[in-house]
Amino acid sequence: MIDAMKGTKRYRLGMRAVAALFLAMIFVAAATSSRAEDSPRAKALSKKVMCMCGGCNDTAGTCNHTGGAFSGPCDTAKAMQKEVAQRVDRGDSDDLILQSFVQEYGPTVLPDPPKKGFTWLVWIAPVVAPLLALFLIWEVVRRWRRRVALAPAGGPPISAELLDRARREVDKDSDE
Amino acid sequence: MDIFGSFALLLAFLVTVYAFVAGIVGIVTRRTLVTKSARNAGMAVFGLITLAVASLEYFFFTDNFSLAYVAAHSNHALPLYYKFSALWAGQEGSLLWWSWLLSIYVFLALFLNRKKHPELMPYVGVTLAGVQTFFLVLNNFVASPFHVIASADSAGVMHMAKLSEGSGLNPLLQYPEMVIHPPMLYLGYTGFTIPFAFAMAALLGRYPGEKWIHITRRWTMVAWCFQGIGVLLGAHWAYAVLGWGGYWAWDPVENAALLPWITGTAFLHSVMMQEKRGMMKVWNVWLVFVTFMLCILGTSLTRTGIVSSVHAFAESSIGGWFFGFLGIVLVVCLAAWYKNRDYLRSDNQLDSLVSRESSFLFNNLILLAACFAVLWGTLFPVLSEWVTGSKISVGPPFFNKVNVPIALFLLFLTGVGPLLAWRKTSVDALRRNFAWPLVGGLVAGAAGFAFGFRSFYPLVCLILSVFVTLTIFSEFYRGARVIASRDGSNLITAVGELTMRNTRRYGGYVVHFAMVLIFVGIAGSAFNQDIQKELNVGQSLTIGPYTILCQNFDQPSNDNYQSDRATLEVFRNGRSEMMLYPERRLFLASQVTETIVANESTPVHDLYVVYAGRSPDTNLPVIHAYLNPLVKWIWFGGIVLVLGTVLAMIPNRRAAIVLRAATESSWGEAMAQGASGSPATSPARSAPIRRSDSND
Repeated sequence: MIDAMKGTKRYRLGMRAVAALFLAMIFVAAATSSRAEDSPRAKALSKKVMCMCGGCNDTAGTCNHTGGAFSGPCDTAKAMQKEVAQRVDRGDSDDLILQSFVQEYGPTVLPDPPKKGFTWLVWIAPVVAPLLALFLIWEVVRRWRRRVALAPAGGPPISAELLDRARREVDKDSDE
Repeated sequence: MDIFGSFALLLAFLVTVYAFVAGIVGIVTRRTLVTKSARNAGMAVFGLITLAVASLEYFFFTDNFSLAYVAAHSNHALPLYYKFSALWAGQEGSLLWWSWLLSIYVFLALFLNRKKHPELMPYVGVTLAGVQTFFLVLNNFVASPFHVIASADSAGVMHMAKLSEGSGLNPLLQYPEMVIHPPMLYLGYTGFTIPFAFAMAALLGRYPGEKWIHITRRWTMVAWCFQGIGVLLGAHWAYAVLGWGGYWAWDPVENAALLPWITGTAFLHSVMMQEKRGMMKVWNVWLVFVTFMLCILGTSLTRTGIVSSVHAFAESSIGGWFFGFLGIVLVVCLAAWYKNRDYLRSDNQLDSLVSRESSFLFNNLILLAACFAVLWGTLFPVLSEWVTGSKISVGPPFFNKVNVPIALFLLFLTGVGPLLAWRKTSVDALRRNFAWPLVGGLVAGAAGFAFGFRSFYPLVCLILSVFVTLTIFSEFYRGARVIASRDGSNLITAVGELTMRNTRRYGGYVVHFAMVLIFVGIAGSAFNQDIQKELNVGQSLTIGPYTILCQNFDQPSNDNYQSDRATLEVFRNGRSEMMLYPERRLFLASQVTETIVANESTPVHDLYVVYAGRSPDTNLPVIHAYLNPLVKWIWFGGIVLVLGTVLAMIPNRRAAIVLRAATESSWGEAMAQGASGSPATSPARSAPIRRSDSND
């Protein structure tokens, strides 16, 4: 690798002179050879369908799993990206494209579960659960604050001597 | 030799079963001799598993392909260090490795506490032996790495066979980080067993709560730190090796590793509530239980294949055993808690909603919400199939949508929480502590907005990151200023002095700062760009400020692999900046393709270039270039995280008696109070808290 770099450094020095020429070509080249899969809309859409290779659990646009090795999009993902691009070129609407994928592969092709029916739960639970927990905390806090007024509850059956000793030990080797 | 290893493993199983049974007998009959014997047995298991591991390593190093496991994961040509790490390349070996790491923890826990806590340790020993027994059952009877290869002859008699060559190690695992990443993660997973055992022991033995919390703090930090390093190394490996331009894909295995780390984080915070105020005892016990159960659940998820994952290498029927064990653990936890729940009563009450106590409540709420959201999304496909009969996917977008707001709120609390005082914070203190950081954050936000930073979440992240960083630095500054003015030292020395006097607090701040760095790095992903293009020699593509010009293509190949390589020159503002050599190798023996990413990484952004293969239509090479801002901050944050954690574990420098007020809003102010001569009082407990070095 190092040898290769040395070689190309020399190469680079030699190339300095023609670099400007190449740069002029860049703009010409940039206008050619771009792929339909790279249009922003096709790209965004390919991230809205799951790669159906069955191994990567990722979207077609971000698949990192190849057949037999994990390095870059696998053939399934590439084919799906291409299909998206073709449909975008044909002028299909986003909904239509996604719908056609659902028809082809079934509902698992959508990375976002539909926000209706049973799968609505997947969206609502992460919102409801913390709120529920917040309510519980509120209750606990109220109990804690009320406890000031209460007489000491029937003491837990830990011997006072054991408790004292434990506290002494904690105090002795506490860091803070 | 194979008999030696499997015999050692079998003996380890018998000894740990003895440790478990004798431990219980010792507790019931109160015979110290039996208890002592059980403890020694628990420690001996470490030696026996070490022998088994050494024996398996010996097979790897001597290329003994009569063992099925060695033949499946090694070959003659494999470099020595990968022969060493091939031990945990597959199911059987990784479980043995797991068992061994656990036995190290068990040995240390039993040995270091052999003369301490006589009421507590027998229960600890029994719990640890119980967990170790489960893993040794797997090692011996379910997934033994010592199976020999045998084949039947014509008469149907089995004969041992020895292969002349093994099938080699997966090339993707032939990467330095893959030698470190699994052990780190496993050290995390197994490490959480120790706090679990102490919590269980304290509950069963009705041992005063502050004590087990105190003993387990360092153990928990060690496990938590290893788990964090393991997760970050895995992310870095995915980024550096897999060549897809990302580091996190919310894959079930990644999620499984993250979950115990999140609950562990919650535990590390909420223990302070119990230490300082005797509150949240039930909560702490359950947090530890849940953390341990999440470690087991994660393993069972990834090894059953009930959720699809990239990490398919670990899949097998073994998951049923993990689920069974998980069930037993849950029942034991519930029973122990139900029986002794009265002992977990709180000592104190909450005085004010604007206090450190309530900030911890929120911290735990948010961490648990994040944990729940990740777990929920990971398991929902299974649940949905079970309930409705139809399969669905929960992809990365779900996790991002749900977790980004939660994470940002957590970042906010990172800034606010540590500066609130215990019990009650006055409006005046709030203004004093937060005014400047808040102004700084808002100014940064406004500047960001002015410079065209218009997406909502990254903008919020910027404001909060600056805010949190300023609160952390102001804490250091205020404390150090007091010391500097009193000792006449300069501010830098004073910062060192301050930190070493209360390593736990200031180490914690360093960890918080590390989290800010990681958050900044992750927020950078909102601005990722990428472009994929077929390039012929002389053609180029443009990404961000860079123009990538294709100079050459070649196919450097050797006996090991065939390669496709591009030679690319990178220009910036018309000036040649660097050469990049992305490559794609096909390993001949295994027929596995590997991407060699060319990544030019700076603190501003990574120019990450991948040779994506040849276009099927034109047979021209396809180059995929990514411009990923701020990724380096994540890895740097990881290093700071480790430093902060290590700092927090160092004992405080002075054994001086310092009176501490529970009402102080910060350590710095306590110093200020001390300096001005006003006596500090401790309303939290009648006696002041004495501080000294400890080396438990």
